Order: sequence, then C-alpha cells, then structure tokens
Amino acid sequence: MTPLAKPSTRIGKALKAAADKSAYLADDKKAEIRVCAGTACHASGRLALRKALDKALAERGLTDTVTVVETGCHGFCEEGPIVVVRPQGLFYPRLKPKDIAEIIETSVVGDGIVERLLYKDPASGEPLAHEKDIPFYALQDRIVLALNGKIDPYSVDDYLNHGGYTALAKVLEEGDPMGVIDEVEASGLRGRGGAGFPTGRKWRFCRGNPGDVHYVICNADEGDPGAFMDRSVLEGNPHSVIEGMTIAAYAIGAGSGPVEGYVYVRHEYPFAVERLRAALAQARERGLLGENILGSGFSFDIRINQGAGAFVCGESTALTASIEGHRGMPRGKHIRTVAQGLWGQPTNLNNVESYANVPWIVNHGAQAFAAKGTETSKGTKIFSLTGKVVNGGLIEVPMGATLRHVIFDIGGGMLPGREFKAVQLGGPSGGCLPASLLDDPIDFESLVAAGSMMGSGGMVVVDDSTCMVDFVKFFLKFTAEESCGKCVPCRVGSQRLLEIIERICDGLGTLDDLERLETLSEDIIEGSLCQLGGSAPNPVLSTLRYFREEIEAHIVEHRCPARVCRPLIKYTIDPDACTGCHVCFGACPTQAISGERKEAHVIDQKLCIKCDTCRQVCKFDAIPVVDAQPALAEGRQQ
Amino acid sequence: MPRRNGTTATEPKGSALYEVLKGIDFERRELVHKPRGVGLFDLVKDKGGAYKCYACTLCERTCPVDCIEIDYCPEFEELPFDVEAERAAALATLPGESCGANAACVMGEQPAGFMPEIDMKLFDAVIAGIRGGSGLVQALHSTQEAYGFLPRVALENIAEEMRLPFSRVYGVATFYGQFRLAPVGKYIIDVCMGTACHVAGAPLVVEAFSQELEVPVGATTPDGLFTLQTVNCVGACALAPVVRLGEDETIGRVGPNEARKLVRKLRKAEVPA
Repeated sequence: MTPLAKPSTRIGKALKAAADKSAYLADDKKAEIRVCAGTACHASGRLALRKALDKALAERGLTDTVTVVETGCHGFCEEGPIVVVRPQGLFYPRLKPKDIAEIIETSVVGDGIVERLLYKDPASGEPLAHEKDIPFYALQDRIVLALNGKIDPYSVDDYLNHGGYTALAKVLEEGDPMGVIDEVEASGLRGRGGAGFPTGRKWRFCRGNPGDVHYVICNADEGDPGAFMDRSVLEGNPHSVIEGMTIAAYAIGAGSGPVEGYVYVRHEYPFAVERLRAALAQARERGLLGENILGSGFSFDIRINQGAGAFVCGESTALTASIEGHRGMPRGKHIRTVAQGLWGQPTNLNNVESYANVPWIVNHGAQAFAAKGTETSKGTKIFSLTGKVVNGGLIEVPMGATLRHVIFDIGGGMLPGREFKAVQLGGPSGGCLPASLLDDPIDFESLVAAGSMMGSGGMVVVDDSTCMVDFVKFFLKFTAEESCGKCVPCRVGSQRLLEIIERICDGLGTLDDLERLETLSEDIIEGSLCQLGGSAPNPVLSTLRYFREEIEAHIVEHRCPARVCRPLIKYTIDPDACTGCHVCFGACPTQAISGERKEAHVIDQKLCIKCDTCRQVCKFDAIPVVDAQPALAEGRQQ
Repeated sequence: MPRRNGTTATEPKGSALYEVLKGIDFERRELVHKPRGVGLFDLVKDKGGAYKCYACTLCERTCPVDCIEIDYCPEFEELPFDVEAERAAALATLPGESCGANAACVMGEQPAGFMPEIDMKLFDAVIAGIRGGSGLVQALHSTQEAYGFLPRVALENIAEEMRLPFSRVYGVATFYGQFRLAPVGKYIIDVCMGTACHVAGAPLVVEAFSQELEVPVGATTPDGLFTLQTVNCVGACALAPVVRLGEDETIGRVGPNEARKLVRKLRKAEVPA
C-alpha cells in the first residue's frame, strides 16, 4: 500500500473518511478463497463452483470465518475456473465442483496442499503451488493488472485499501492541472487503443481548445475480435479506470470550465457494464466522483453509454456520433475531436488501458514509468494471447519484449505436435507476422515497420493447421461487413478484395489477382476516410509479403497446404486405421459414411459436405484430409 | 427430364426424350416478372461446370411459398438435385401460384408467420428512460430488452417521443449489428466469430447449427424456438470456439458435433416425447 502524499491535509482526510472501516477487505493474511469471476471462468463453470463452495463451507460451519471473494480476471483464462486459497496463496486451476470438498479439508481447515489439483508445469510436469512460481505469471510485469484477481471489483473499500484513489488525492492536493499533464507527457505514455498518440499531448491540446464544456471519454468499445484486455480491466478493477478518468478530467478541465465524462462500452460485455455501474455508484457515494470531489471543489461525473455492435464505433468521430444518437459513421479528421468532438465541444478520448495507467504514473512518477519499455514506447502493454498456444490469457509485459518471449516463454509455446506458423497482431487492421520475425521487439514503430500494428493488443497465434488465405478471408469478411458504407474505397473496395480472396480460396484465382490485390489495397488505404478502411488491407498486404508461397499454392497447384479451403480438399477414411467403431457414422449429418460395424468405413464424396464433424469425433485419427487437386485440375481443363 | 410446366429446360438436344417432345407445339409463355421481383434465379456453377449447391436444404426451408424442391436422385450423376428455383420467376405459374421472387431463398429472409403480440405496457420504461435523458441508442437497447426485438410500433413511438423523424430512428436501428427488427426465438444462439474462434473452427460450428436448425444465420425457426446469430467477439477467446446461449450462458469449446447435440437436447426439453 502506497502511503498518502500528505495524510494530514484536508483532501487526505477526506480520502481516509471515504473508506468504510467496517467493510470486509481482501487481505493477504486472512483465510479467504478467491474465485475468478471473469467472463472466461464464468463460461467454464464458475457458478456451479461457487455453489459447491458455499455449500461445503456451510456444512463445516466455516461461513463466518472463511470469506469467498469473487475477483476479476486472473488472466490465465486457459486454465479456468481458477480458485486461489489464501493466506497460503495456493493456485488451483480447472476445478470441478466435486474437488471443492477436498480443497477445503486440506488447504482451508488444514494447512496442506492438494497436489493432484495443482497447476502442472508443462515443461517438467512438476506441480506448482503458487502464482508467483508459475512461469505465466512470473515472467509478467503487471502495472495495470496488478490488482486484478486480488480485489473484489464490487468493493471500493478493497480498492482504497490497496492504495486506490491516492493518485487522485495527490493530484487534487497539488492543485496543478498543467503539472499533471507535464507528468503524463514526461512518462511517455502513448494511447493504448492502437494508434499510439502521446496521451499527455492529447490532454494538452484538449485543454487548450476553448469550449462550453470539455468531455472526457473512455473508449471501451473493444471491437477487435480476439482482444479482451479492456473487458478484463473493467471487470476486475473498474475503479482504476474511474480514477484515471477523473485525473484526466482534472488535468483538462480544472480551472478552465466544466468537464463531463462518458464510458462507451460494448453491449457484448454485460459483466463489465454491471461492475462499472456498481463502481460508479460507490464512487459517487463516497465522494470520489460527482460534485465537489473529496472536498476539493472540483466536480466531475461519468455516464455509461453502451454500444450496439458496430466495430467502426471504436473510431473517435464515429464513437461521438453514436453517443449523440446517430449512425456511427466517422467524419473527416481535418478538425480533430480534441477541438470539436462530442456535441461540437473539445473532447478527450482515451482507451481503457491508457486511463488505467494514469494512477500508477501519478503515484510512482514519470521516471519510473519511462524506465520501462523502449526508446519510443514506454511502460507496459497488455496483450490477450489466444489461438493455438498452451497458455492463453492476459499478459502484461514491458514494451519491447520480443514476440518469442511472449509466445514461447510466457505463453508456453504451441500445442503439442504443432508448429508455429504466424502471429496476428492488431485485429482486422493488423497483420500476420511469420516465424522469422519472432525475435522482433514489440513496440509501436517496429510493428508498423513489419507491416502489422499494435492495435489494442490482440495477439492470435496460429499453427500449421490454419490456412493463411482463409485467415485473410476471415478478416476481409469482417471489415467488409463492418464498413459503415460512407466512403466508396472502403465500402466497395473491401468487398472486391474479399471476392478476389474468395476466388483464390476456391482454387480459381490467377497470378494476376496477386497484383490486383496489391494495387487495390493501396487505393483503399489512400482513399478511405477513416482508419477502418485505411487499415483494412493490412492483413492482405502482410500475407502477400510473408506468405506469398501459400497463396501461390492455391493458384498454381490448386492445393491448400493447410487443408482448410473446402473446394481444394476432400475427406477420406484410412482403412488401416479405421476400426469400424461407427462413431463417425452416427455423427455425419448427411449420412455420407457407410460401412459395417468393425469394418473400415467409406465416405461417399457426393454426399460429403466437408463439415469436419467426422474428423473431430474420430478417436483413431483415421480420417485424413487430402488434396482434391487432381479432380479440380481436370475440371479446369474442360 | 420434363419440367412441370411442360418445357424441357434441362434436357439436352438430341436425347430420346427430346426427339419425342420436339414435335409437340407447347404453349409459349411470356416471362413476366412479379412487381417485387429481383430477377431470374440460377444456381452458381464452378468453372468445371459442377453446381456449387450441395443441397443443404436451407433455401427449401426458407422459401415462403414452397417453390423450391430438393430431391436426391442417385441416377442423375450430373445433376443430382432437381432444383426448381432455377428460373423460378419464369415458373411463377407452378403449383399454388408460387414464387413471388422476393428472394427469400437467396437473401435469408425471416420465414413468415411468426409475430408475437406487442404489449405496449412494457414500453413505459423506455419512455421514462428517454425523459430521463437517455440517448437514442440507449432507448433502442431498452426496447429490445423489453420485447426481444424492435417492433415497428415501438420505433414509431420512440421517434414521436424524441421528436425525431422516423427515418432517423430506423436508420440508427438498422446500422448497429445488435438490433433486431424481427422477433427472436426462445433460445438465442450467438456463435462467436472472433479471430480465436475462427482459428478454432467457428465457421464449421455455425454451419452445423444452421443445418441442425434448418435456418440460415440471422433467422428464427418457424416454431419460434431458436434464433441463430453470430457475434463478433465475446472476449472468452481462451475457450474458443465459444457459443453464447441467451444473455447469461456461455459455452466453451464447442465443435460441430457438440452444436448438433446442444440443439437436440434443447429441442427434447421443449417437446417431451
């Protein structure tokens, strides 16, 4: 816990008074059970686990002595649902309700460890009991995620007890808004939403622009598929975002005019909305938000605005249009939102993660923040590592860490028997990087140079079972669908790009198509109004740059090397491996599989719709996918 | 192969049947497009001349006037499916005055005949929200919360209450992917189409749901039980592929087989055998 700046002063007193002494506080020394209540753990059975836990505690009469805390995301989503038993700090992943009784007997009542249920180190197979021993956690450097999984997101007291709102108190105490901006600018914090614009400079511009009211907006419209950092921060530690926004509001608006706040959050994140709403209510109740914050005379309040499933609304001008109740279409940026944003007033828009970094910078100083990271990209960055890696989840590392470090050291490498093929960064606006770039540092500049971008921090790892052309098709389909339709290059261009890629996937592409892809991509980048169109061709260009051979295999050899593109593959049954167990027989939706029990089955190619069900249910790997190339080549000759 | 209206559209010249039929003087019909018509329909062929259609039967189920018939005949090697959608507009005089060419089969329109009653009492909360200063998008959210979709009458009332033109409200309602203008089923199945889920095989899962439910993505089954949708990313990427059932239940690691089983299980719970 960080001590207050000047505990004897008026604001310090107000902050102390804001904490409720009688409230339950999560503490490292008390007996308690922390259950992860993030979205992923929820999906893997958190509710049933909680029920079993309550029942087991009640049976033993421990309900009063042992507290169950539902925390935010622990980050290790692959291993959910996660339970941590305090004070020993025992980490139990992948629990089933039936395991609970044993854990309570051994680790809560007694002082032992249920070795059977511990996390096993994938390399050595050794069971690891504590979070700090697990490489996934040990190799991270957590600033924003530091309190995630440690505090109850529904309790402002928990946050206060862990040093929360001290940064706000310090800022209000000093009463120097320009000093705050200087500090944030000196720290080198850059926008975590993707573009990497220096946050301090943005605040300065916004403050410098006159207006009736200044708006401070938090962009939590995390539309990139495969990214969930913002959701986890809002779910696990909503007060850090509120504190960061309030500090920003003070820096921008104090002494110059009224400031109002908005959080624009995706409707797809119901837990995040619920927890943020509860946190806002609590902060208002304790005088940490609203009129006359902590007795300082500064007033600021935050409203929640829910999105409705439009990717383009992550763009600043589209986002403000959406809050105003219009179709979320971007406008030209000849006048920036810091000058004329929401309702035509100067508006400061930052990402969730950017705001969550601010309290840490104020508390620890700009130098400490700038000491982490690289020359141009300071601090840490959260990545959501997903795809075909062993340890998927949230990872916070200093900028400049290499891709290899993140994917192989922290992420535990590829799934057994699979080979690394590419990592996709930055969502639909980013690009796919091949194995040869694994030793590149992750920072804003080097990613752009490599043809990708930081984006909001989604990192999807793919192995040799993913077809790069099909992968690009997925992103183009996404951007073509999400294009708002305002300007032609994006609306029509992305559709045409998609058609060309689809043609290649079907084995009907020509080598001219590659050139066409390149020129069309350049035109779209040049001509689009906003960054959705301006970055939509990135997946195409990066794939052309690093995986050209794979695209050419589709065109020249009518072959899909990863065996994904349907017209180029067929499903067969290996008669030697097939045991005739009949499982695929029942699973096939079109009755394309025939054969007697205990004899090798066959697939009727006319009826097979290549839905992959049989291959997935087969326990003997008896259904290989092979090239359908000869048949197709013949068809083309006719 | 004679068509039902007496022409021999698919029979190649020179075949035995053609020899028999060529002497007969069939009545010539003008091709008349229905007022709402969008043109003639044909099945797409690849360059080798084979039909791309693999008879998933979705168009057959979706067609509101039952003018598509899919019929497997193993003896026809080249054209195994008698698909009457071909030149559907031209066949407009077929049994029961069929195809109005409103293109439901190709555009995946809602099967007709499923519209619940609209209880305007539920709308009071929305009006209260608007008067409390909520924006248009929020008003649409609370309407959808109340009814499960956005009924036209509700949109009209919102427009009146907010003093906006109806076109503006409609425009916003159609812009955002989360808003639905058609009623939804009891179970809403949202298949996540995020990157991680895609890599893990989400397209196959959507297809399995679509086949098992016999509706295209975005539509509701005629019995009003299931609505099949896709969602961009629910943020539970570690459990890919992810399916969300309703607002609360999220199911991880769903393959095509699990998808089919899930539908069968839910159906069984609804219709006790």
